[in-house]
Amino acid sequence: MPTIIACFKWVVDEAYIRRGSSGELDFSSVDYKISDYDRNAIEEAVRLKETLGGSAIAVTVGVPASSRGVKDALSRGTDQAWFAADDTFGHLDSSQTAAILAEIIRARIGQYDLIVCGEGSGDLYAQQVGPRLAENLGIPCISFVQKLTIDENRLIAERKIEEGIEVIVAPLPALVTVLPDINIPRIPGVKDTLMAGKKPAVTIKNDELPAAGKVLLQTIGLVASRLERECEKFGTDDAEIGRFVGLLRKKGVIG
Amino acid sequence: MAGVWIFAENHERILELLNIGRQLAMKMETRVCALICHKPERAEEYIRRGADEVLVLPPLAGNQPLDAYIPVIVEESKKADPDIILISATSRGKDLAARIAARLNAGLCSGCMDLKFDEESKTLIMERLAYGGAAIQQVTCTTRPVMATIPPKAFEPALPEEGRQGQIRELPAPSPSAVQVLEIRLKERGTKDITEAKVVVSVGRGIDKKEDLALSRQLAEALDGEIACTRPISEELHWLPEELCIGLSGVQVKPDLYLGVGVSGQVQHVTGIRNAKVIAAVNKDENAPIFKVADFGIVGDLYDVVPKLIAELKK
Ligand SMILES: Cc1cc2nc3c(=O)[nH]c(=O)nc-3n(C[C@H](O)[C@H](O)[C@H](O)COP(=O)(O)OP(=O)(O)OC[C@H]3O[C@@H](n4cnc5c(N)ncnc54)[C@H](O)[C@@H]3O)c2cc1C
Ligand SMILES: Nc1ncnc2c1ncn2[C@@H]1O[C@H](COP(=O)(O)O)[C@@H](O)[C@H]1O
Repeated sequence: MPTIIACFKWVVDEAYIRRGSSGELDFSSVDYKISDYDRNAIEEAVRLKETLGGSAIAVTVGVPASSRGVKDALSRGTDQAWFAADDTFGHLDSSQTAAILAEIIRARIGQYDLIVCGEGSGDLYAQQVGPRLAENLGIPCISFVQKLTIDENRLIAERKIEEGIEVIVAPLPALVTVLPDINIPRIPGVKDTLMAGKKPAVTIKNDELPAAGKVLLQTIGLVASRLERECEKFGTDDAEIGRFVGLLRKKGVIG
Repeated sequence: MAGVWIFAENHERILELLNIGRQLAMKMETRVCALICHKPERAEEYIRRGADEVLVLPPLAGNQPLDAYIPVIVEESKKADPDIILISATSRGKDLAARIAARLNAGLCSGCMDLKFDEESKTLIMERLAYGGAAIQQVTCTTRPVMATIPPKAFEPALPEEGRQGQIRELPAPSPSAVQVLEIRLKERGTKDITEAKVVVSVGRGIDKKEDLALSRQLAEALDGEIACTRPISEELHWLPEELCIGLSGVQVKPDLYLGVGVSGQVQHVTGIRNAKVIAAVNKDENAPIFKVADFGIVGDLYDVVPKLIAELKK
């Protein structure tokens, strides 16, 4: 029976990010969430486990406050969680995150059949951690998967490419990154949340891990992007519709 | 033998990378090397269009995936030690780039929108979006090679020049792979290119059902424009093809008019319409984020407003 690992990231909900007066990012009123597409990754791991048996394990690397995400991931049906926590883990680059995940998976989890990652994280959207992790572990990687089946000790994946769909078969263990249309993530109920508190979750501190390696991609600037517009609102009566269309004509953007 | 390497899966993408690759190579006083796996007979053309060297990857066996080239590219890169590797950000390109970067222990700027060579520090400064498009992130790589994936159409295709010369060399064939392609299901071609459209009507989840797309199509026709959509419409509901999805994971548009119909205006979508001259929207929720980034917004039910707009436009 397979062991399936889902990697998720606890991220800032970007909808609450504001632009400060001098163009800086204002995080003062943000909330956090499991990165959108990582909910699909967790859901896929849990569904596979529910049909095939075995276990679904959630793994994350983040700042200590990401423990809320660990609880969330457990309430979404994973059986246990591994959490590498440190104050400095909020600013890792993709190669460092992949190195820590590889270390946890190799040294702590040991035996596994499949790793499921999201297509990309909500904050960085680098689309790198999955493929890098697969390389670190020396296993096959299939990115952008829309449909996944496990058959004995191989997987069959339908992945999206520009020309259409590429159907891939790969031996296990392997890693896949999944697109949002692979499933509809469940919404945990009160009971799931209560159960989550009883499931095993291991927190690993930075000093229990080998050094993560140096930053390969250095951020030298981060500014809020600008989108300033006129923001004029219109009603729906005929006069307003007429005024709206009139303005578009006046602006010369329609014939 | 340093230089700027480019790799893309198909002709159009190769030409775009040759353009930016050539620009960088001139500033850095180095050469451009194109790795190609597609139509080796075009090698001469790539030389005319900016390559100093073309490295030809031998064809894959029938059922081998593109990633079989990874070890070949990594080996060659270790020998030649390029300064920069640019890879086109197609699905397979992005996957390949991240895995090559892992093997070379290199930094990789994904979805790189702009690259500038800073003469003083001799570093390549790259720009990309972060936080769904709410932020612009500037990055540099701390090791060699500097790697980036370049979104399709971010640069114009390279033009041919008279009298250019270069070498053509074949790389070793890839070893057999454990991963195999069972089948490729080609999708229908022929979707419109919305990146060039003057007017774009973009539909979002405010549309109740697929049949109601007809209403938005009529609006697009009345405006002499093209239809586009948000990611849930193309990717989750599959009501429209992915080429029509605007935003972070879709395309960037630059029309005179963008009109969102039942689009909430989340940052990942809106980041794709930044370069529209005028942004307009119809949404029944007056607090929808789209109104904060629109020039003109109608607060109302699209099923009421769109027919009225069509009638007004036909006047
Ligand atoms: C990493 C990442 C990348 C992403 N990339 C993209 C991308 O490239 N492109 C993209 O579009 N999205 C992208 N998304 C998704 C994005 O965050 C939003 O979920 C998406 O844009 C919302 O689509 P929507 O506006 O169609 O749907 P919703 O957010 O559900 O909005 C529907 C809107 O319709 C309005 N409405 C409902 N009924 C009516 C009616 N009868 N009349 C008028 N208005 C009505 C509602 O008020 C609401 O505002 C990405 C997300 C992530 C996490
Ligand atoms: N800090 C992290 N902890 C666990 N998984 C992560 C982390 N960062 C990224 N991932 C996984 O890698 C995927 C791609 O992330 P990214 O490369 O940042 O776009 C995400 O969808 C997650 O599945």
